This record gives sequence, structure tokens and C-alpha cells, in this order.
Amino acid sequence: MAENLSATSPAGVLLDLSGVVILLLAFACLGSKLFNRYVVYYGAQSVVLAFAAGVAAWTFHSVELWILAGVTLAVKGIGIPLATRGLLLRRLAMARDAAISTGLSTSLIAGGGLTAFAYLVTRPQLLPHGVVAAAVVPLSTAVILLGALAMVVRRHTVAQLIGWLIVENGVFLGAITLVATFPFIVEAGIFLDVAAGVLIMLVFVSGLTRQLAEASASELKGLRG
Amino acid sequence: MIALALLIVAGPLAGPVAALAKAKARVAGMTGTAGALVSLAAAIALLGTGLHRTVNLQAWNGFIYIDGLGEFFLLTVSLVTVLAAIGSIGYLSAEEDKGTLSAFQVRLYFVFFGLFASLMLASLETGNLGLLFVLVEGSTLASAALVGLEGKARSLEAAWKYVIISSLGVTIALAGTLFLFYAGTALHLGSDQRLTWPYLFAHAAMLAPQPLRLAFLLAVVGYGTKVGLAPMHTWLPDAHAEAPSPASAMLSAALLNTGMYAIIRFQAITAARLGTGFPRAVLLSFGFASVLIGVLFMVRRGNFKRLFAYSSVEHMGIIAVALGFGGLLGLYGALLHTINHAVAKAVLFLGSGDIALRYRTREATGVGGLMTAAPAAGAALLLGSLAVLGSPPFGLFLSEFTIVRAGFERASPVFPLLLLGLLAVAFIAFARTTTGMITGAPAPAPAAAQAPDQAQAPADPYQGRAARLSAIIPVAAGLALLLVLGLWIPAGLNTAIMHSLAAIT
Repeated sequence: MAENLSATSPAGVLLDLSGVVILLLAFACLGSKLFNRYVVYYGAQSVVLAFAAGVAAWTFHSVELWILAGVTLAVKGIGIPLATRGLLLRRLAMARDAAISTGLSTSLIAGGGLTAFAYLVTRPQLLPHGVVAAAVVPLSTAVILLGALAMVVRRHTVAQLIGWLIVENGVFLGAITLVATFPFIVEAGIFLDVAAGVLIMLVFVSGLTRQLAEASASELKGLRG
Repeated sequence: MIALALLIVAGPLAGPVAALAKAKARVAGMTGTAGALVSLAAAIALLGTGLHRTVNLQAWNGFIYIDGLGEFFLLTVSLVTVLAAIGSIGYLSAEEDKGTLSAFQVRLYFVFFGLFASLMLASLETGNLGLLFVLVEGSTLASAALVGLEGKARSLEAAWKYVIISSLGVTIALAGTLFLFYAGTALHLGSDQRLTWPYLFAHAAMLAPQPLRLAFLLAVVGYGTKVGLAPMHTWLPDAHAEAPSPASAMLSAALLNTGMYAIIRFQAITAARLGTGFPRAVLLSFGFASVLIGVLFMVRRGNFKRLFAYSSVEHMGIIAVALGFGGLLGLYGALLHTINHAVAKAVLFLGSGDIALRYRTREATGVGGLMTAAPAAGAALLLGSLAVLGSPPFGLFLSEFTIVRAGFERASPVFPLLLLGLLAVAFIAFARTTTGMITGAPAPAPAAAQAPDQAQAPADPYQGRAARLSAIIPVAAGLALLLVLGLWIPAGLNTAIMHSLAAIT
């Protein structure tokens, strides 16, 4: 059982380390000024996540997890960053600056606060000490909150979309450490949903780009009240 | 039995098949209606046999699981699907004839309408909470395509807001599901069973309390986003206002209920382990916030589809309050209100589609004197408004009355009194807008402004009797049903509700 994996075992250490790197990359996304970097950091985060899934797969000899790790690497780590960068940034010639509605430092401080909050909520009561899940679940909760924060502060629709994907990565990180035995059909379904979701959101974004100057959420003000 | 369950899900897919075969709106709509009727008949048959069944339907390791509660919601959703499918024939063929929607858009509509209905029905048939998430998220995506269908800046904005907020919400619900899975660590069940509702419910006493508490909270916030509970409701008025009217009817009357169904499942497990106090506090807070927000925004006069949407926020709040009151009476009221509200809101949105087609506007100020200009549409709006506001003799009066009674019985009298006060304000706010549309001098149709020689009354948007009938039939049928539900609760429905309550208590 994954949730009882000891934190000091090699796999536990690797998972813990991946969690920390994923959190740092979420911060990097939050703090990056340029669109290019924002997308690259997201891609890197997904690669680390695929590595973590690989570690879990190797530990539990689970074919399903190997498949998921591979698909994560291919779709989230490579496919989505390339698609958003190539298709949207180049073809739609959008501004290279990933506009942010608060100051950069304000959003980073808010991110720090949310990370502390995540530790406060999840660490003490929930999980027994000494298992890797106890270390990773607060990290994944923090990643979820940081992704949500990125959705709030980023103005551009594509940046919001990637914010949602960061949230998704956080949930996935929690899933592989907390419950490596999540039924495969459910995991596959979640993946399918994410892929379909990204597809449909990209369709909306390109539609909005045709209608508005740059599909920034600050232009989405037609509907109120 | 399993075949019947599969038939319910497969029924609505007839529309997409016809649309993919490049059928016109009329043919695709009729095929879709036929499929929806098959699905409704199967749902009724399943409900009928379910009353005599002692063991709940279960197959494939709990991936298919149907109990009384599932049967009841299947009935509600398939009923709404039939009404909306009939309404789609007239609405879409009018749009197609007028050239507002291209043939491609019409085909897209029927494909996603069918997928949307089918995914919702499927989500009511699974006992696996992970698969429930997958299907609910799938239905979000299918319905987002419907919201953005018209491709205008406004509808794309609404669709974007809808898909991004709902996806985030449902992802939060997934985190809740994860914690529920974790709470069951001590159960030593197989991995499939640990996410399966009947097992979790049966072994609720052995779940770890802290993760369960977190799981419930996350599930209410997450699925509450789909239900439109305040303050997660912000996508709802935009999506409802911008979608084609039959799709708005599906959103308001079917999708919101599916979200509520998921919350009821989590509530049942949580109440079994932690007692009713914690879920009650959570549901009453979100419920009253929604009623308040819904009522406040109904005061504003403007887009009438937004008005109906805020009324949905209000009614979902009422259902959450009823679930919070709990007890036999509270849960009974919640379920009764679910089916009543679903039918009433389907009537209102389908009726509003008729009005929007005639006047080519969704602003209440652009519509006036419906009673003289278009008596059928005016009568539908008048009766539908009265029904949705809970006046006798319609069904919502009975269910709201039950909920208030439950409040007096189970909670401090402050809560039911507050609810009554808010309902009174809602009545005034809502009726203020709709009476302006129904009575008064007929507003000139927008076409008349450019061509003054045209008739004052707005043009009939439909071509052919089939289209005209398809605009009237669902509204009339829905109103008749509401009247019946207000006069007496048929014995079969009563047994069905009692049967669903037995499944979750």
C-alpha cells in the first residue's frame, strides 16, 4: 500500500523530493513574467510528476502506473506545452508577457501564505508520521492552491488554463502517493477528461482570439450581474 | 435489469447518431426525442421493478450500481431530457431556417446535447465515486460546447467562464474523493471497492474521521460549484443566459441536480460516521448563502434568462437547506423539490426560448404585452413563474411547505422563518420582471423598427406544424405535471421517494 510507504525508503525519498521540486516549479510558474517561461515551467513540472509516477510504478510493480507515467510525460510534459506555445503564441501572435493582475511580489507572498496554510490543514491530524504520504500530501495540497492562485491572478485565458493544469498536477501527485491503488479505469478516465478539457478550452481560446484583441480575461466583461 | 440500465444511457445517443449522419434539425431533433423517450420509459421501468427488489442493482465491481436514490434521479433527469429534446426540435429548426446557426452548428448541437444527457444519466448509475467524477467532468465539457455554440463573443465568454470554473470545482471534488479513499485505509477492501459507495456506506463506522471531514467539505465545495451554490455560482447565470434555451433547460433542470446527487452521496457517508451536525452546518451555510445571493440578484431587471438562472441558484440553495435540516421530512422535501424544480425550470427555459425566438432579444425590457401578442407564450410564462415561485396549486408549493415544516421540526425556528422571508422577497423580485413582460402594451418586434409596415405583433418564428407543436408540447406537459404534483403526490412517486430515502439513511 502506497500510503504506508516509509519516508526513509529510497522510493519514499525520491517521491518526497519530486514533491518538493513540483512545488518549487509551481512557484516558478507563479513568478514568471514571460509566457514562454510559464509554459516551460509547467512542462518541467509535468516531467517531474511523470518521474514520480514512474517511481511509484517501479516500487509497486504496477503496469497501470507505468502507462500513466508514460502518458503523463508525453501529453502533459511535452504535448500540452508545445501545443500552447506553438499553436497559440506563434499563430495567434499573442503578447509575450503573461500579464498578472496583482504585483509579482504580492502573488508570491500570497503563494507562500497558501503553502503555509496547506501545511496547517493537512499535516497534523490527518496522516501518521513517518510515511511518505505525510510529507507529500501537504505538498500536493499546496500545489493545488498555487494553481488556483495562478488562475486568479493571471489575466490571460491560456495562463488560466495552465493554472488549472497545475491544480490537476497537484491532485495527481496526491493520488500517486496517497492511493497508488486508485482503480485504473478511474485514472484513465481522469486523464481522458483532462485531455478533452484542454482541447475544448483551446477551441474556446482561439474563438475568443478571433473576436477580441488578445483573449485576455480583462476583456471578458460583457457578462455581469 | 443491467440491460435496462444500459438502455437508459444509450437512449439519448440516438440524436448524435442522426446528427452525424447529416440529418437536418427537424429529423435529428425527432430522433433525439425518440431516444430520450426510450430512456425515460426504461427509467420508469427500472423504478417500477426497483420497488420490489430487495438487493440493489450492482455489476462490474460496483462500477454499475443503482439504488432507490439513483432510480429517482434517473427519472428526473430523463424526464427533463425528454422535455428539452422536444423543445430542441422547434428551437433549432427555427434557428436553422433563419440562418442564425449554420448546418454545422446544428449538428454540433445535437451531438453534444445527446452526449451531455447520456453522460449525466451514466453518472447516476455508477457506484464508483471516482467514475462519478469522471462522468460529471465529462458532462461539464459536453455542456460547455453547448454554451459556446453560437460562437459570438458573449457566448464564448460564458462558455470559457463555465468550463474553467466548473473544471476547477470538479477537480476540487476529486481531491475530496481522494481523501475519502484515504479515509477508508483501515477497511482492507480491494481498490475498486474502496471507492464504491455501497461498501463505504456500509462500513462508514470504520472510516477515519479527520480525512472524512475534509473529504466532505471538499466535495461540497467541488460539486457545489456544479450545483451553483453561492459563492461558487458565478458561472451559472452567464452559461444559462448564453446557451440555446433547450440547453439552458438541461443545465438548470438536469445538470444542477446531478451535482446535488453527488453531494447527497457524500453527505450520507459523512452523516453515518460523524453524525448529522457537521454536514448540517456545512449545507445550511452554503444553502442560505445561495438563497440570499439568488434573491438579491433577482431584484435587478434585465436579461430574463439570467433571472431564471438566479432563481435556479435560489432553488438549489433551498434544496441544500432541506438536506441540512435532514430527517425524514427534510430529505423527503429535498427530493420532492428536486423533481418539482426540474420540471418548472424546464418549462420556464423552454418558454423563454419561444419568447427569445419571437423577439430576438433576451432583455426583459424588450418584451411586453405577451398576453395579447403571443397568448400561448404569455400563459406559459405566467403559469411557469407562478409555479416556480411556489404558489399553490403547483408542486413547488407542496415541497417548499414540506421543507419549512422540516425546519420547524428539526432546527431552530429562526431558519425556516428566514427561509420564508427570503422566499417572499424572491416572489416580489421575480414577479416584478415577469409581469412587465406579460402585461402591458405589446412591444414592437425588432424587425418592425426597420420596416414599419410590418405587423406590430412579433413574427411567428416557426415553419411548419411540427416545429410549432414542439414549442408548445413540452411546456404544456410540464405545467400539467406540476399541477398534478401540486394536487396530490402519486402513490408511485411517494413510494419511490421513500425507497430512495431508505437507500441513504
